[in-house]
Amino acid sequence: MSMSYSFKSAFQSLCREKWINILSILTVTSSLLMITLTFFTLYNIELFTNRLPERFSMVAYLKNTLTPEEIQNITSTLQKREDIAAVKYISKEDALTELRQTLKDSGYILEGLDENPLSTSIELKLKKDFVTANSAKQISDDIRKIEGIDDVYYGEKIAEAINLLKKSLRNTSLIIFIIISTGVIFVIYSTVKILFYRRKSEIEILKLLGATKGFIRAPFLIEGGLIGFSGGTLGIIGALLFYFAVTYRLSKVIPILKSLAFPLEILVLLPAIGIILGIIGSVIAIGRLRL
Amino acid sequence: MITFQNVSKYYDYQTVLRNVTLTIEQGEMVFITGPSGAGKSTLLKLMYQAERPDEGDITIGDFHLASLKESKIPLLRRNIGVVFQDFKLINNLSVFDNVALALRIRGIKEKDIKNLVSNSLKHVHLRHLSDSHPKSLSGGEQQRVVIARAIVAEPVVLLADEPTGNLDPNTATDIIKLFREINLEGTTILIATHNRELFRDTGKRVLKLDGGNLIGEEIG
Repeated sequence: MSMSYSFKSAFQSLCREKWINILSILTVTSSLLMITLTFFTLYNIELFTNRLPERFSMVAYLKNTLTPEEIQNITSTLQKREDIAAVKYISKEDALTELRQTLKDSGYILEGLDENPLSTSIELKLKKDFVTANSAKQISDDIRKIEGIDDVYYGEKIAEAINLLKKSLRNTSLIIFIIISTGVIFVIYSTVKILFYRRKSEIEILKLLGATKGFIRAPFLIEGGLIGFSGGTLGIIGALLFYFAVTYRLSKVIPILKSLAFPLEILVLLPAIGIILGIIGSVIAIGRLRL
Repeated sequence: MITFQNVSKYYDYQTVLRNVTLTIEQGEMVFITGPSGAGKSTLLKLMYQAERPDEGDITIGDFHLASLKESKIPLLRRNIGVVFQDFKLINNLSVFDNVALALRIRGIKEKDIKNLVSNSLKHVHLRHLSDSHPKSLSGGEQQRVVIARAIVAEPVVLLADEPTGNLDPNTATDIIKLFREINLEGTTILIATHNRELFRDTGKRVLKLDGGNLIGEEIG
């Protein structure tokens, strides 16, 4: 099959039927832009939530009766666990100092205390993959069983909230992606079908000259892919304009927006998604037609 | 060799071809004549499978059309060159590209296409118009482009349906001369025409059709 003919024919059709193609490309552009913005939001929230586990910690309170050797043993046991990234011993004195710093001007509350009421503790940082509600609960239950540990505290609700947020964002994005992709496929399907009927007499001639179905279909598949690619490329331009508008203009009013990151993967992904959706739309359109 | 064995074709309740049996030898040039509605075009259409026979069998070389699968029709058509009465040129393609289409369909490489198309256009005396578009050409010139497209891939058989129907007598004579030249190179040619002037004194076989029946033959 002559691919150069198929490409030439597809490009000629794009130019010849420019209005219908421009309309189709703009529709695909706006749809892919919506996918990009969803991905952009998800990407930045993922970045934000990925940093949360670094701040997530678990505190194991030790019994007051422990000797330094026993504390050392507990610390070693905890360090050996594969789900714990860092272990930090906090003495009663350190805990009190930290509390005083936290209270600042309200430090007078601690005046009048005869002795330090705080417990010695070990602060644990979990490895990133284990900052889930189930893992954190499992780890805390395990640690509680260690001889010398009085109690374990961790931000149970925070861990749950992080995971719930991530999960719902991913699900919502997936649903949005599926709905918009279906829309893009339908737009390209309709466009290619119209283009096919407009070239019906040309197709009849090709058939009489002995063209195979593949030869007749190839330009339409390429044209669908090109519409998708153009939509994707314009979508990138739209997304970049949006990004610069948000980070440079809006960030003057809302400073936190300045820290938003633009996922560079989009530069490749969007045209690729456009091409794939375009070809799928064309395959459905041409595949259903009797040649 | 082309054979028709008891071939019949019906449209609704009307018989277009009835029990036609004929043989055309390889390299022969044959005219099919008869009044309008005699079945000339249908006979050709059956050969390139634009129509399927209702009865009988047709063979063209190794192709047995009665048992030919639909997927093999493109292959059959690539072995046959057809000159259509209504030209069937693609108006948004240049003369060159219209002729080249027959080669691109066959998967010929682009570097070979240039030479083959150029030779074919030279054959029909149209090389100077290769960049023109069909709409800017006269009827005779368009007919020549169709002939160039039909012969460019050197088909075994060339079918022409009223190839001079839209042309003035001088151009018609030129076109028949061209067919004779092509035939001299070994291509089997079948020309359907109602114009008796075309085959007069050609010395070629003329098959006579009337009302769908093959009523006889003569030498032109």
